[in-house]
Amino acid sequence: MGPLIPQGFVNADLNLFFAFIIGLGFGYVLEQAGFSSSRKLAGVFYGYDFVVLRVFFTAAITAMTGLLFFGYLGWIDWDLLYINPTFLWSAIIGGAIMGFGFILGGFCPGTSLTAAVIGKIDAMVFIGGMFIGIFIFGEFYDTFQPIYTGAFLGNVFIFDTLGISRDGFAMLLIVVALAAFIITQRIEDKVNKTSDLEKDARPSYWIPSAVLIAGGLLLLLLPSQPRTNWHEVSPDKILTTVSNQHHLTGIDEVTYSLINGKDRPVVLVDVRSAEDYARFSLPGAINIPLGQILDHRYENLLRSDQKVVLYSNSNTLATEAWIIATRAGIENLTVLAGGLNGFVQTIFQEEHITDSYNLNVEHQGRFREKAKNYFLSGKAVPEKESVGTPVIKLIEIEKPVQGGC
Amino acid sequence: MNKVQKPYMNPYLAGFLLGLVLLSAFFVTGRGLGASGAVKSVVITTVGAVAPESVANNAFYAEYFSEGPGPMKNWLVYLTLGVLAGAFFSGAMSNRLGFKIDKGPRISSRSRLLFAAAGGLLFGLGAQFGRGCTSGAALTGMAVLSTAGFLTMMVIFGTGYVLAYFFRKLWIK
Repeated sequence: MGPLIPQGFVNADLNLFFAFIIGLGFGYVLEQAGFSSSRKLAGVFYGYDFVVLRVFFTAAITAMTGLLFFGYLGWIDWDLLYINPTFLWSAIIGGAIMGFGFILGGFCPGTSLTAAVIGKIDAMVFIGGMFIGIFIFGEFYDTFQPIYTGAFLGNVFIFDTLGISRDGFAMLLIVVALAAFIITQRIEDKVNKTSDLEKDARPSYWIPSAVLIAGGLLLLLLPSQPRTNWHEVSPDKILTTVSNQHHLTGIDEVTYSLINGKDRPVVLVDVRSAEDYARFSLPGAINIPLGQILDHRYENLLRSDQKVVLYSNSNTLATEAWIIATRAGIENLTVLAGGLNGFVQTIFQEEHITDSYNLNVEHQGRFREKAKNYFLSGKAVPEKESVGTPVIKLIEIEKPVQGGC
Repeated sequence: MNKVQKPYMNPYLAGFLLGLVLLSAFFVTGRGLGASGAVKSVVITTVGAVAPESVANNAFYAEYFSEGPGPMKNWLVYLTLGVLAGAFFSGAMSNRLGFKIDKGPRISSRSRLLFAAAGGLLFGLGAQFGRGCTSGAALTGMAVLSTAGFLTMMVIFGTGYVLAYFFRKLWIK
């Protein structure tokens, strides 16, 4: 259901009201955490106060884990989230300039706002400096522009950049954060010469730590990916596959599986409408109408270890479903070449060549003849349980609609 | 002054709450938090009022006037108004209101303010290159696992640590 505004759940004026409310929470927490004091903030660079690291890291991990779980549960659509674009040199240069500004000024923009409003004069001056800095960037924009918009790597994810799995990265980040919390606490104690009495008075953090680790492990162990474009397949690759017809499974192969189901099981998915499916379908096929192809319920089925073959009347609708699912990261699906019409024509309507100099042609012809007799004798028994009543009734098949299904 | 300041919140609890605020921002808007954006809006509005002709010739400014309700009726501006109100409320609750200059033990107030201005200038400039500051680029970027977020975060703090030794006089004894 989320995010709310991009999907039109909230109108544009309430939008700004929400902004104010969220800002209230943001400002309140920053001030309560001690971020209104530049002395405390700068402590992270000298080891006498690591409050910045603690708050910052905890917040990042909380939000990240929350977003991952929300995505998993379908509460938030990652496709609609703003993923910060990576302009390599601009990010590095900007980061370096900000780091320099941090050590000189002792604030970052958000913290300076919270400090200024409670009367910190250094923060007000810092904000004045920010106006000038932004103004300089604006005035020299033409000069900076090549760096600013250069080296664009796309809206890339860190785990893709590092080449590891998303949940693996999340777990790694949690472990790194916990290690950082422990190590920085030691450093802080050393720098401040904290007495043992003070150390003993500190609350214990093993429960929150355990919760974080457990959350990370859960992410790692959850069986399937949320249906988002996390690992989306590039459009180029999809286009190449489709135009080379590499996504197709031949009619004979599917027929063979229908006859000898136990040797080579396939999952047949009928992507046409429920009415079409009820009227006529292949034995054992499961109906997932095109519009529901990304429905969470069917994900495990589509990600089956067995071969999954989508079909419609011709190739068109099934290929459409294939593209949608593949783009969403459900790979290794295939499409029945020629669709139902091709199947019916090949097995039942064509003359099968059972005698030829070409052995391949002859074997193919004999196989198809055998299949025809097999189906007509009514031996094709559905093997899946949740199938409904798929039956082959040749008489009722309709002419394919022009231009697809 | 008359009342004792209350202690700061446990940093891990504060971080957790901040994470929830960030999460709710994502849930509502699909975007995270930001602080430098509102300052930028003010700068752009000011430039637009003082020198409209320079706005027209500058791609950086023009973008904000080309469409939509203008730079001030903006999500980040209202967010920042909320930040100011929330921080003021928090400061008032904890008896931390009052004019004051925070500084290291070895520098004068005048130097502190000069360095604060220089720091602000750099941060304002850097936040443009970084497409957001510590909140908008680093924290928000990390929450959505963007490469830019992690990169910016590491460079900000890395640079801080590299330079910390040279500017230690500003902060420690």
